[in-house]
Amino acid sequence: MIDRRDPPLQPIGRVVATEQKPATPHQFHFWTANETTIGIGAIVRVEAAGEAPGKGEGGRVVWGVVTDACAYSDLATPLHDVVGAEGDPARAAESPTARQEIRLWTAAVLRQRPEEPLQPVPLGGVHLATDADVAQALRMDAYLGGAEPRGIPVGLYTSGGLEAPVYLDADFLLGPEAAHLNISGVSGLATKTSAVEFLLGSIFEHFPRQKGRVAAVCFNVKGPDLCFLDQAGALEEEDRRRYDRLGVPATPFERVRYYAPFKSDGVNLNTLRTHAALVGAVEPLVWGLGEVLDYAEVLLNRDDIDAKADAFIDFLSDRVVDREFDDGFGGTHRVVTFADLERLFRAIFDGLELAGGTGRSDTWRTHHIATIRKVRNRLSNISTRAKGLVTDDGPSSDLPWGRFEDRTVYVVDVANVDPLGQDLVFARVVSKLREHLERRDLGVDAVVVFVDELNKYAPADGPETYVKKMLLDISERGRYLGLVLFGAEQFRSQVHRRVVGNAGTLVFGRMDSDELATPGYQVLSPATKIKLATLPIGELMVRHPHFTQPIFVRFPRPVVLRGRDGVERFPPATDLPFEDAVVRQLVKLDARVRPNPVKDLIADRREEDVRRALALTRQSRPQDAFAHFKRLLGGRVAAAPLPVRESVPPLNPISDEPY
Amino acid sequence: MPSVSPSPSWVDAVLEAGAVPASSVPDASLGRTDIEEFTGADAVEDRELQVHALAGAPALAPRAVGFLDGIELWRVEGYSGVTPIVRAHVAAAIRRRGPDRRLRTVAEAAEELAITRLDRLSKGVRRALEEHGVRVVEIPAEDAGQPARAIPAARVVVQKARAALERRVGERGLDALGPDEWLVVDGVISDSPALSAHPRTLGVVKSHGAQYFEGAELERALTLPADHRTGVFCPKSRGARREIHSWYLRLWPWEGNDLLYGLVRLEARAHPDTVALAPAVSAWLLRERAPLATPDRRWDRLLYAIHDVETYLRTRAPRDLVPPPSSTSRLPVSRIAS
Repeated sequence: MIDRRDPPLQPIGRVVATEQKPATPHQFHFWTANETTIGIGAIVRVEAAGEAPGKGEGGRVVWGVVTDACAYSDLATPLHDVVGAEGDPARAAESPTARQEIRLWTAAVLRQRPEEPLQPVPLGGVHLATDADVAQALRMDAYLGGAEPRGIPVGLYTSGGLEAPVYLDADFLLGPEAAHLNISGVSGLATKTSAVEFLLGSIFEHFPRQKGRVAAVCFNVKGPDLCFLDQAGALEEEDRRRYDRLGVPATPFERVRYYAPFKSDGVNLNTLRTHAALVGAVEPLVWGLGEVLDYAEVLLNRDDIDAKADAFIDFLSDRVVDREFDDGFGGTHRVVTFADLERLFRAIFDGLELAGGTGRSDTWRTHHIATIRKVRNRLSNISTRAKGLVTDDGPSSDLPWGRFEDRTVYVVDVANVDPLGQDLVFARVVSKLREHLERRDLGVDAVVVFVDELNKYAPADGPETYVKKMLLDISERGRYLGLVLFGAEQFRSQVHRRVVGNAGTLVFGRMDSDELATPGYQVLSPATKIKLATLPIGELMVRHPHFTQPIFVRFPRPVVLRGRDGVERFPPATDLPFEDAVVRQLVKLDARVRPNPVKDLIADRREEDVRRALALTRQSRPQDAFAHFKRLLGGRVAAAPLPVRESVPPLNPISDEPY
Repeated sequence: MPSVSPSPSWVDAVLEAGAVPASSVPDASLGRTDIEEFTGADAVEDRELQVHALAGAPALAPRAVGFLDGIELWRVEGYSGVTPIVRAHVAAAIRRRGPDRRLRTVAEAAEELAITRLDRLSKGVRRALEEHGVRVVEIPAEDAGQPARAIPAARVVVQKARAALERRVGERGLDALGPDEWLVVDGVISDSPALSAHPRTLGVVKSHGAQYFEGAELERALTLPADHRTGVFCPKSRGARREIHSWYLRLWPWEGNDLLYGLVRLEARAHPDTVALAPAVSAWLLRERAPLATPDRRWDRLLYAIHDVETYLRTRAPRDLVPPPSSTSRLPVSRIAS
């Protein structure tokens, strides 16, 4: 992968040092011809003229990356140019001799060899870096060689006509040494999603097999961004060449599983991937009371929910749900679904109302009626606002916990879900990932969780939401579990500092100038900031634990179909009438199912009964789907018992501890 | 390109042989000065020296121009008795300006000299000097006994060496000159038969020690307005100097400064064509005012391209001979060392 050709002997510049601009162990200056191919971000190699060619003076070789540049002429003062041109700017260009001028570059040291004793950069010739130089300069030699190389291509370093692959260390990208990746940049120009798509493909191709199985869970939170990862998009020859150079196949993801909740009708999927040719690959994401109550904190840590409400929810979880429960007014309940819970609430309110004449009517089992009403409102609120995701009644449909497959992308499409529902999905999926990874029974050893819009989910300020706490938990503990966060946002300065601070790898696309003026970017030179503010599409700046300075790389356009192209090629289907949607669901389970018998069967049935029968059929996946569906619909469809739930370990509270 | 050793071993050798070290750095080179006497001139263009305006004169625009200049750097390295031992570096170069307006070196020469009076040196010092093969140029015997005369005599030797080197480089440069290329020389060209006879060689003289006119003609020459030239004249022949055509040109207004401010004297071959070309050449030289040759103090008369040649030569000269921007300490060296 690394081209180890001999370095070109012809220098392109020479190190200069003055009292004002000395060469130090960390920085040096060099000049080049005025017409040069290098620029900000170029990697160079310095060798003092030694006796042995290529060995440098005393064997010392220094690699650096250009961080700043200036040009000036021998003009003593601008006024002299005015005098020379007699005040006419047009004449200034007519002077018969061009003034002597200099291109003076400033470079930050990436690496010295030998590394000890650390000394100032020798005043030697400056050469363009080759592939081998890039590997040495970025210390990639530590993880690219040996019996078990663990390099993950992130892009191509390009400068001066040279092109070299840049690799990330899998141990520092996916753990356990470090983990997590954070990518920032302005919307539309930073190509954050494209970069992550390419990197996931690169991880799937290059993550060492001996290190285990890896999968990715991507939350599609806006538009059709991630809806077509299994479809090939247009790719130019130059992009194919880059894929080839990076050793990443220019093919879309082979294994992608899509999950999306239903719309409020309970039968049409709430996703933009509803084209007839593609919708078959989308699994419904439907949760019931059990799934929601475990993550009630997501719903209740907003607004005015207090400790009393929290206590009442705990009471419901521990004492009521999924067990025979006497309401104290003569009724017995077994609460499994939202509908069951609503019946319980009604019984409580009715009972308290009837008891009004005989004693206290405002307290039930030590819980005040106002608290009970508040919790009821919150829980019914989620089942209303996220109708389609949360089912009032019926079985749930979930990600394949325990059966995650190697090198597979799981896309959870919540783009059209209410923000509260998005929080719930996010919290539950990530918590379940954590649980299974802790138990090592997820099916894979590492999971990359891609979360866009960290500005929304983990803002630097604002309330301490469950989602934010969870993102902090992943950031701080995930690398030990194999739970890796790939986060993206527009403004890194406005994301919680421990989320970005724990990201071992930082990637920057085109940045907003105001963002670059914030303190987090003070370490960058003005020239690097300018480059970041004008970065073309497809170019990124990467910081990685092995790289002592940020490096600019180009990555090829993702081979998958972009969201908006996908919507054009596979226009979303209009919502089907209830009967047709049911047919489609059954056909998906069993291709032999014919529409008319199904329509005849459900013509005089209540929609909720049909939905419940359909869900149970989908859950049991029988060989003869229609017969199974018909049998379920024939009699009263009993509510499915909840599976035994694992308790979710509490999250660490947010502290002010520095990372 | 010649290589110049930064620290010549012959200096160490003569010091080890008993010469007393010294570090006297004379003033920087004053350039190739003209002789300082009245010689007179013969009229060529006008019967009496006249002033000609250059407004509207078409400027010559050679496709390429070579610029020739030289430098001299020297210092007293030691004394044997009271006889100074001077180390000198002379260098000359031609930098060619092509259509891209950038200057590139096309010819270059440098030389290291030891200047002293051998028969005044101690035997050991003399032997050390002779054994190291450095080219030794002797000052006249009558100047060697008195340091007050020996140093100026050494200066003259250095100037002559530089002039000779410039001449050699210039004459070689003529051979490489293209059919429509010019060679502009910093200083007089009348001391070289080849340069003074070449149709596209131009000398630009910044110093005006020589006086060619008197009375009204002198006043006309020295009060020449900016963007004006005098008529072409022929300086009276002096010694070995060849016949030449010459005229004055004012580059910048002198009012508010001194009479010689912005005044150059141009030399070209003695030929009727020179008279015909004088307006175009003068207009060309006016264009050469930009860019300014600042921060050189002589910028009002110094062409930028010539300044560039000098800068180039100085950057390649031995570092220990280039005087630092601020004068070095003159404290006793032995005291400092102790």
